[in-house]
Amino acid sequence: MSFSIYGQALSSRLLIGSALYPSPEIMKKAILASDSQVVTLSLKRQNPNAMGGEQIWRYIQEIVNVKQGFLLPNTAGCKSAKEAVTLAKMSREIFATDWIKLEVIGDDYNLQPDAIELLVATEQLIADGFKVLPYCTDDLVLCQRLHDLGCQVIMPWASPIGTGKGLMNPYNLETIRLRLPNATLILDAGIGKPSDACLAMEMGYDGVLLNSAIALADNPVAMAQAFSLAVASGEKAYVAGLMPERQTAHPSTPTLDTPFWHHHGATK
Amino acid sequence: MNIFINGEQVSLFEQASVADALQQYLTEQQQALTFAVALNSDFVANSDYATTCLTEHDTLDVLFPIQGG
Repeated sequence: MSFSIYGQALSSRLLIGSALYPSPEIMKKAILASDSQVVTLSLKRQNPNAMGGEQIWRYIQEIVNVKQGFLLPNTAGCKSAKEAVTLAKMSREIFATDWIKLEVIGDDYNLQPDAIELLVATEQLIADGFKVLPYCTDDLVLCQRLHDLGCQVIMPWASPIGTGKGLMNPYNLETIRLRLPNATLILDAGIGKPSDACLAMEMGYDGVLLNSAIALADNPVAMAQAFSLAVASGEKAYVAGLMPERQTAHPSTPTLDTPFWHHHGATK
Repeated sequence: MNIFINGEQVSLFEQASVADALQQYLTEQQQALTFAVALNSDFVANSDYATTCLTEHDTLDVLFPIQGG
């Protein structure tokens, strides 16, 4: 099955972050190893004397050129719709893309998205021509509202950013998939293991976005490959169709002509 | 007049524009880098730097690409 974001066909269903790697070189190798075509990045104040950011930016441009990929700027750190809208506009000018990973954080402790500000920002950005990829909680009604506003892509969290706790509430995530069959659903944040990514894909999610689980691995390059395989495996399994879960055991070996059966019968 | 650029107080001549402020705050090499600007938390397009005038206590944010998740 093909995968696209706002009409842009993509070969990989894994979207990858560019932060937290041990070095820019490892970041580059890991992103290339992931097969991902979409790389997230951000904008921040920077001491003009510190040129490190420019090096990272050059590396990310090289990666995107090599992979014929796409930049996905985020609005990390924004706590209001106004801040997020301003940062989105600044990103659009710099990165020449109308894609925006919209983050509006409502709580410093668990970095939970502020649903109300998120909806306000989404409405304004869509009106201004942006293609919004909102990072949100696993709340069905919030996802529905975002979809109604015009978000073709919705990105509920698996668990809080950077926790690696995996899918906190599979029921909620499955419900969102079931109830929004036409939305492109990308699981974003909290993924810790390749099996988490695989599970999301087996549920029918269209893609997975992650950063920390790869960047903070002992070997980020190998972990990037592991996630690439997990996402592809989960998607293949979903398409193949999982067997229905059953409450009682069913022998997988045929019972017809079972040897020694008469012994059991003979004792009665 | 005094304004704030990325939280730092900067003294500028009266009627200075965003372009003037950037010229003073950034070296020539830094001005060639990729960045975007917000004035008092509102986006200012690159094409408007020269015509956007600053007033006392304005706050300018100059943001650069960095890694992100």
